[in-house]
Amino acid sequence: MDSEARLMRALGAKVAPARDPAFTLAVIRAAEQRRFKAATLLALLRTAGMAAAAAALVLPLLAWVPGNMAALEQGVVMAGAMLTLVGVARLMSQRVTVGAR
Amino acid sequence: MSPHDEARLIAAARRGDSRAFAALVDAHQQAVRGFLRRFAGSWADADDIAQEAFVTAWAKLGRFEGRSSFRSWVSGIGFRIARDAKRSHARGAVRDSDWLAAQDNGEEQAPIEDRLALANAMAELPDEQRAAVALCLGEGFSHSEAAAILNMPLGTVKSHVTRGRERLLRALEASDGQ
Repeated sequence: MDSEARLMRALGAKVAPARDPAFTLAVIRAAEQRRFKAATLLALLRTAGMAAAAAALVLPLLAWVPGNMAALEQGVVMAGAMLTLVGVARLMSQRVTVGAR
Repeated sequence: MSPHDEARLIAAARRGDSRAFAALVDAHQQAVRGFLRRFAGSWADADDIAQEAFVTAWAKLGRFEGRSSFRSWVSGIGFRIARDAKRSHARGAVRDSDWLAAQDNGEEQAPIEDRLALANAMAELPDEQRAAVALCLGEGFSHSEAAAILNMPLGTVKSHVTRGRERLLRALEASDGQ
């Protein structure tokens, strides 16, 4: 046998096994694991971001409240009044719609 | 697998269908693992790299433009992972006979001495030359496929294959004298 044929024979030796379902399974498992990790990290970051935003809103409010108690009370009363007004308006509009039928 | 079937599976895998991706892995694992085993030398390392290459391929499937075959694209990802990790540098020089003996699967193959001499000579080749030889002579990829995988000009791949073959031939001849 000449050198070229020997080389091609040695190079042509199969190195990969026949299709291995275990390999395919390992790939899919690793991919799913990576996706799960990425999704968990994203959820953590989202939660941390929301918590930071909430803290950024609440902390100045807490500092503002002691010196502005009267304004806060007035604001709460006004908000309550507006909500009541909106509720009554909705109730009335529903009655009008039912009456029109 | 026909190109049409492959395109259908790629489209499904892009939508997150794990069964479609599993079918793609099943169809192409032999070529990718074979190439990486020849390139990296160690079976265990090569299979780890092949697994990483397929996982990366799924994550980046949106970027696959279809200019090369899926098999070539994944092989390219595997090549870059292997080269960047430099695993082949660290371990390529040491090829144990168990690795070669494990290739015996009942088929008539080249003598173990030839395969050992070849494996040692392969380990001595520069990374890109070894990759070109493993792809074109070992796994039967065309020169243009290898050029796309290795991101090299066609002429460079051809010259790597020619020079690599010459060095392997010399190593085989030298092993006769020992």
